[in-house]
Amino acid sequence: MKIEVGSEIEVSFTLNGEARSASFDPRRSLADVLREDCGQTGTHLGCEHGVCGACTVLVDGAPSRSCLMLGAMADGKDITTVEGLATDGVFNHVQQGMWDAMSFQCAFCSPGFLMSTMALLEENPNPSEEEIREELSGNLCRCTGYQSIVDGVMASIENLKQQGGE
Amino acid sequence: MKNPPFTYHRPESLDDALALLAEHVDEAKVLAGGQSLLPVMALRLGRPEHLVDINRIPGLDQIAVSDDGVSIGALVRHVQAERSDELATAAPVVHAAMPYIGHRAIRSQGTVCGSIAHADPAAEMPAVCLATGATMVATSADGVREIPAAEFGEGYLTTALAPTEILTEVRFPAWSATAAGTVVEVARRHGDYALVGLACVVDAPGGTIESAALSFFGVDNRPVRIAEAEASLVGKSLDDMAAFAAAGDIVKSTIEPSADVHATANYRKHLASVLTRKGLAEATSKIGAAA
Amino acid sequence: MTATEEHVQTSGLGFVGQSVKRVEDEWLLAGQGDFVADRLPEGVAHAAFLRSPFPHATIDSIDTSAAKKLPGVIAVYTGAEVNANTNPFIPLIMLPDMYTPLFMPMTEDKARFVGDPVAIVLAESRYIAEDALELIEVDYTDLEPVATMSQARNPNSPQLWDKADGNVLHDGSKVYGDVDAAFAKADHVFTETFSCHRVTNQPMEARGTVVEIGQDGHLTITSTSQAPHAVKWAVAAMTVTEKAGRNFRKFWRMKERRANFKAARKAFLKEHMPAIRSQDRSGQKHQNKRENPTKHQLKMAMGLLASEDFPTVRAGDIGGGFGSKGSVHREEMALIVASKMANRSAQWIEDRVENLLDGGQAREEEFTMSIAIDDDGTFRGLKCHFDLDYGAYPSFPIGGALTQGMIRVYMPGPYRFPVFEFTSRMMATNKGKQLPYRGPWANETWARERIIDIAAEKLGMDPLELRQKNMYAAEDFPTKMVTGPTLDVTMSCKGTLDRAVEEVRGLDLDAMRADAESRGKKLGVGLASYHEAAPGPPDFLDSVTPGNGMLANEEARAVIERDGSIKMYTSQSPHGQSHATTYAQVVADEFGVAMDDVEIVWGNTDTSRFSFIGTGGSRGGPIGGGVMKYSAREAREQVNELAAEMLEASVEDVTIENGNIHVAGVPARGISYADVAAEAAKRKGSADGPAFEVVRDYRGHGDGGWSVATHVAVVEVDMDTGQVDIPKYLVVEDCGPIINPKIVDGQVRGGVAQGIGMVLYENLVYSDEGNPQATTYMDYLIPTAMEIPEIDIIHLETHSPGENDFRGVGEGGMIGAPAALTSAVSDALGVQATDMYLPPTKILEMAGVIDPD
Repeated sequence: MKIEVGSEIEVSFTLNGEARSASFDPRRSLADVLREDCGQTGTHLGCEHGVCGACTVLVDGAPSRSCLMLGAMADGKDITTVEGLATDGVFNHVQQGMWDAMSFQCAFCSPGFLMSTMALLEENPNPSEEEIREELSGNLCRCTGYQSIVDGVMASIENLKQQGGE
Repeated sequence: MKNPPFTYHRPESLDDALALLAEHVDEAKVLAGGQSLLPVMALRLGRPEHLVDINRIPGLDQIAVSDDGVSIGALVRHVQAERSDELATAAPVVHAAMPYIGHRAIRSQGTVCGSIAHADPAAEMPAVCLATGATMVATSADGVREIPAAEFGEGYLTTALAPTEILTEVRFPAWSATAAGTVVEVARRHGDYALVGLACVVDAPGGTIESAALSFFGVDNRPVRIAEAEASLVGKSLDDMAAFAAAGDIVKSTIEPSADVHATANYRKHLASVLTRKGLAEATSKIGAAA
Repeated sequence: MTATEEHVQTSGLGFVGQSVKRVEDEWLLAGQGDFVADRLPEGVAHAAFLRSPFPHATIDSIDTSAAKKLPGVIAVYTGAEVNANTNPFIPLIMLPDMYTPLFMPMTEDKARFVGDPVAIVLAESRYIAEDALELIEVDYTDLEPVATMSQARNPNSPQLWDKADGNVLHDGSKVYGDVDAAFAKADHVFTETFSCHRVTNQPMEARGTVVEIGQDGHLTITSTSQAPHAVKWAVAAMTVTEKAGRNFRKFWRMKERRANFKAARKAFLKEHMPAIRSQDRSGQKHQNKRENPTKHQLKMAMGLLASEDFPTVRAGDIGGGFGSKGSVHREEMALIVASKMANRSAQWIEDRVENLLDGGQAREEEFTMSIAIDDDGTFRGLKCHFDLDYGAYPSFPIGGALTQGMIRVYMPGPYRFPVFEFTSRMMATNKGKQLPYRGPWANETWARERIIDIAAEKLGMDPLELRQKNMYAAEDFPTKMVTGPTLDVTMSCKGTLDRAVEEVRGLDLDAMRADAESRGKKLGVGLASYHEAAPGPPDFLDSVTPGNGMLANEEARAVIERDGSIKMYTSQSPHGQSHATTYAQVVADEFGVAMDDVEIVWGNTDTSRFSFIGTGGSRGGPIGGGVMKYSAREAREQVNELAAEMLEASVEDVTIENGNIHVAGVPARGISYADVAAEAAKRKGSADGPAFEVVRDYRGHGDGGWSVATHVAVVEVDMDTGQVDIPKYLVVEDCGPIINPKIVDGQVRGGVAQGIGMVLYENLVYSDEGNPQATTYMDYLIPTAMEIPEIDIIHLETHSPGENDFRGVGEGGMIGAPAALTSAVSDALGVQATDMYLPPTKILEMAGVIDPD
């Protein structure tokens, strides 16, 4: 496949469980494609060079920087963003945990933390505080000092356990 | 901060990719994980006319372990290496480097070979390659070339890889049963590039050091081994802390790091000596524990 | 009566005092926020700025022709083209004799820092806009840069501003009491110089503005502004292009408006005459001699008088600010002008590199402190010489002048210093602009607490006891700080200090030291105290900037609609402080209804009352929250009165419980807000408008008073690597009654985290040639979850007798942390830190482990 400068690439992927296709300039980042071409503005851009983590989404389940991927690289992938977490308007265990713990303030960074926490708990449903801090160290928050976010992950773990027990 | 325009190629085979590189040479860049290339492009510090996305090429995402050692293909992501139990046994020092590389989300997409080819002087993998005597397998339309790690790094973000070549594979030699290795580093924040780091391998059959590799990163424009310090360790016992400290002193007086906004040259020299001690103590303790 | 007690999580029946979950999270955690970059109106143009790559250079020529030809480019304007359609930013708050330049949205003749906007591109996408930037040809001639304060003080350095007297824009002094006599009499005088480095606010969302042009030409501006009303008025004034005379004639013909204006003017002058008379306008005179802003002022004033259409400024969700979004920014103004010129709605979303270049910088300051002290440790006096690196352009409307004033007034802190001398200078340098950053005066606490530690060491006294001995205590009140502001019972800093000292005494420090030592680390303990005017006594702001106390005013509007629904309009512009939650708590308690029954409305200048500052200065709780309470309370009284009539009872007997308005003891025969509102509407006669509407203001009623705290840091310094761990961090604070404890804790911890970042990680360093060295997040190091420790908080609660007892907590964490942390590191190393920035290199140099390069 070759897409010349000025032409658009046609890309199909699954976004939050729904099949989507879009055409865009192949230089566009996945973040811009999600936000502007797909209208899903829940994913935020904080630094656009891969450090702050606000743009983290799940690509085939793996937490990934959507600013450091081309939209073209999403072709055929399964993408989950913050908009895909709630079911029928009901928060999932991580959203609920973060809400209960009052984890965020401005919450601009929250989509990244939510997605990183989703990935963490998928891989390790019972992490220690040290493991939580380590895993979330790729996400910057300027408001909270992180303690409330760590509390939110702990609350999410409890929610998950309760859901599992039901 | 947006990517400059480029022609996007997504070849389905290695031959097609190599043909594209042969056609566009300096004007093309290989895109694998993109974790180093894309920020450089977004900052418009690099603007390749052609981007060759190799992610669809089959067969490059394998970690292969054999009696000869370990081979890691061009599309093996850091996280894949991090989670490979086979790799932990077959190339423990490679495995040990993984948690230091960026953060989880970077390791999801970033590739081992990409990190080596990018050649950041403060990155772990080039130093690990140098410490272990790895071989870089460079493939072009003209064929395959094997480049020893010692000849691979040529300077700041510069390697022996030609613009027409893809680093299709990195090979690590078979791990000695009597060896142990480790990666130690100090960064300003967790997950940052190291101020100074050390990939170190010690082989000590019978409890006496027979060989040692001390490969430092963050102290020069590419990873460096300090032969004199390595030589000073030969014949020493596994708990000879004085010898480790002496090796650290040699390192400190040999390297010529530069200063930047994060640390002075003197700090880096000091830190290199500290890490020599710590790295050797850690590596030798593993041998001790195994024995 | 005052009472100091441990804070209790719930305070009786109401919402106030409870950690009610955040209302905001219902949309924010769902990814349904309304941030500025999310606003993409149909056909919006995307803007990008060409910025100077040189710190100091003349701009000799600009060629935009190639850029204009690029497909997808809508317009390219040079600085001169944009500036031709605006008036300059005109200084508002000034110091006596300070030179504050008139400056324009973009630069046209001379680049004054790396990042100075030289041209603007509007294009179909930000990608194309950035492509076009690369096609603009600019010829620069390099000038010698002025990169440091010492270069700025050198009279041979080139000037940034031609009409200033060199690069020292301000050089002044103020003496409180007979300082010379006090210093002569004191047993000792200790002097030390302290340096703070440049840092940047760095909200996770950078700045951004979207301009939408209506069919009638009406502008709707969405801005990441902490103060939307300041943006509204600045835009209205600065975009006046018609000549003054023409607008004046137009105004003259508007008879009704003229009459209204005359009446409003008379009322304003009557009320504020004493304040206006006390303003020091010598700065303005100094200005006039050189730049003559009068003609611009006249033009703008006439434009405002005659204008029939003011822009609407709205703010949706905002991703943090920490002071940086309180300014009206040059880029914002340039975008608005460019959008009008191109007649296209346009969006500028700042990227991180731009934000690090000029999104807001602060705190590069030097202090020479002298303390006069007796053998027994009694403080006899304090002197401070203060130098501030102002950067290239002023911040509008609040910048260095206010920082200087606050540092001057706060400097003696919560201690009994009978005399004080303050001298200060401000230097223009070729760097990004200085603006307020969370506790803009915070370095004052650092410098003062440092010199107190040093004095204690020299006298061989315990630094904790030295503080206890000299701090104002309950029996001293009421009194005044030597710099002017009144201290009352709410200045309960001593309570926090005593409690913190008790906590420190409870630690087994010897065992902790030995344990650290066994791991190659050295342990240290540091402590620092401060008081903060949040909201402060009524005389506080006038002590800082005489006559400008009125700038702190804030109004709120309480509305009960005809259907009984309650809407509260605030002029605050929340950007993380959780106003929608805390205000609903306050107001629901006042109205006796559920939180869901009240709607907090913000973020639109069409519906809110004027506020100069908006959200900033820890105002959200005490002032914004206070005026919510006043206006809700008055609306409730009106409801009570009408309900009393309807229930045929006396007002005193009417009570409201969960929306049921009834005679006490007879809840079954209650009526609802809807019933009362319907009755009120019926009586009003007119067909529209709310049933009840109350506007109340906050004019420094004197309630609330001071917010105070003492911070304790325990650190372990790794003597091999110079890295610092913080095994314990404690804040003992007293902000009076708390609206929402978890939200307060979040504010405190977030502030401490920024303080830790500033001391150990963050440095917005420029080279000696004026080139910024930290232009990405690889080099500007914001601490992560691995660097910030758990932070313990103890709340004390001192009450003031006023109607509104809320006090601010937004800034305090950042004020105390650098002082406590550097004190702890100094204690660990046995060397007193005189630089605030303590990266590993500096630590090992202080410890004598390594030499400087």
